[in-house]
Amino acid sequence: MSAHAVPAADPSAAHREPIKAGLDAAALEKILVEQFSAKRDTRDRWNLTLIVARDRLRDAVRHLRDDAALRFNQLLDVAGIDYLAYPGHRGARYAVTYLFKSTVFRHRLALKVELDEDDAVVATLSDLFPIADWAERETWDQIGIVFSGHPNLKRLLNHHEFVGHPLRKDYPCQKRQKLSVNDPMIDQLEGVLLAQGWQVLDRGATGNGIPPGAPGTSLAGPGSESQPAPTGSNTGAPR
Amino acid sequence: MKALSPAGELVELMTINVGPSHPATHGALRAHCALDGETIIAAACEMGYLHRGFEKMIEQGTYQMVLPYTDRLNYCSAMMNNIAFCKAVERMFGVTVPERCVRVRVVLLELSRIIDHLVCVCANLVDLGALTNFWYFFNVREEVYKIWEKLCGARLTNTVTRIGGMYRDVYPAFADDVLAVLPLVESAVAEVRGLVEKNRIFIDRTKDIGVVTADQAIAWGWTGPCLRASGVDRDLRKDEPYYGYDEYTFDTVIGQTGDTYDRIMVRMIEMLESASICRQALAKLKPGPINTSDARLSLPSRSQVYHDMEALINSFKLIYEGVRPPAGECYDALEAANGELGFLIVSDGGTNPYRIKVRPPCFTQWAAFGPMMQGAMLSDVAAALGSINIIAGELDR
Repeated sequence: MSAHAVPAADPSAAHREPIKAGLDAAALEKILVEQFSAKRDTRDRWNLTLIVARDRLRDAVRHLRDDAALRFNQLLDVAGIDYLAYPGHRGARYAVTYLFKSTVFRHRLALKVELDEDDAVVATLSDLFPIADWAERETWDQIGIVFSGHPNLKRLLNHHEFVGHPLRKDYPCQKRQKLSVNDPMIDQLEGVLLAQGWQVLDRGATGNGIPPGAPGTSLAGPGSESQPAPTGSNTGAPR
Repeated sequence: MKALSPAGELVELMTINVGPSHPATHGALRAHCALDGETIIAAACEMGYLHRGFEKMIEQGTYQMVLPYTDRLNYCSAMMNNIAFCKAVERMFGVTVPERCVRVRVVLLELSRIIDHLVCVCANLVDLGALTNFWYFFNVREEVYKIWEKLCGARLTNTVTRIGGMYRDVYPAFADDVLAVLPLVESAVAEVRGLVEKNRIFIDRTKDIGVVTADQAIAWGWTGPCLRASGVDRDLRKDEPYYGYDEYTFDTVIGQTGDTYDRIMVRMIEMLESASICRQALAKLKPGPINTSDARLSLPSRSQVYHDMEALINSFKLIYEGVRPPAGECYDALEAANGELGFLIVSDGGTNPYRIKVRPPCFTQWAAFGPMMQGAMLSDVAAALGSINIIAGELDR
């Protein structure tokens, strides 16, 4: 494929074939409408955005990722949208759009989940796509969508003392929030160690004197229940 | 911290912050590492030090007012962001820009890719202690910045495009200037490759360091040179050609193991391919209009404004109110120097964007950095971090 292969390159891997023609929008729509009762997004001016019910999202995503004819193996982005100020909008206040792409076939797709204001919760995709971990943290931080089952739903762009969600339409754009104490991030580090089978006995000086697993500092995020458990400042849960 | 290893051994782990203000982060990034000796057992990464509310700010103004903000996303190749944003808005309008504009944009995209790769590679080499290469590359980069200055008066933050075209046509000697710079790029790449490619120290510090396999890179949503370095031959310019990239002859550059060495070399050789695309695009550059004639986007000429009532009104409306993309939602992306740079635009039919979500290409790379560094040595952090080219401006928005 490449005339200028990197020195000592060995042209072998399966990912080096040219991209194959994918399914067109109509075929993709048919699959998702028939199998996952999706419907086409009327606002879509792109190529294909389909709205799925939130309880079908994970099944649809798993099918899109694993089906041999689809292979949507890349989650490009997760975008939260607040329709509060959208002229003439009547439906649910929030939406989350997931952008997918395939490295095997030339096709793209967006899935959209609509979420009501009083129940803005959707299941996490972080176990299906590792990148969803951070993308969902950003969406929680900016819009305030809760991703149930997320291992560590903590703010990503804003600091851990931040209150509110800036990309909501009712958040004033001139508002400033200052940070007083830096995030020691010991809970995140401990989480990575735990996942590898380590056991933390004493946090030492970096733990600010807090014993391991103490309330308010643990990695416990919202868990698998539908509502987040407000576990203190480090999880960024609403206060 | 005291911890029990999976084998049941009592180990005193040292926790150390790499960053936020570490010279090798080239911005403000923080990786909190737990070390056993010099080996990284766990790393937790943080971002947001350069977060300035880009997506909130751009909702406050018109679409034209977004453009200067896009310069500040990836400030190493500001024009790429300008072009990517304009391309996305033009897609919402269903407008195609004139052929001359497309060719000029391709030249600017590829030159931007070259200077982005120059900065990434030379900064990475400086982190490894190879300072000479930095000057070889920065001299060439300076020559490109001289072209930028002649083109629009600005060096770093250019705001050179407009929705529906360009700020203005290129100056008469533009093609000659670009053609004069390209050999400098090629000789600088040859010189630096000569210095580092077989250098024992360089190889020891980059080979098999920060390895990301093809499957991992795909699962983490990687795009661009970092994905290609892992051996995945995907490039939007080839796979979903835009701006006539299918008319140009060029190769995608792919690596083998996905280590730091491959990521540096992929960027190094991509510069040669970009230089070739620049030459081909300049050969096809023909005189013609640079801006679209679509009245929804493009300002009428001065003579029309002075003699025609409709043109005068249109000029007022475009300047005082702004362009109005039709209501709806649209995602559009192009192959930026770092990977897929995308804009998801939600329009309510008004003059201000209702919501714009940027997909910064280096977000996925930084998200994977913690897992990537587990088991590496502390000194590898600087080497590997440079090679994934995290630009805090676009990462934190």
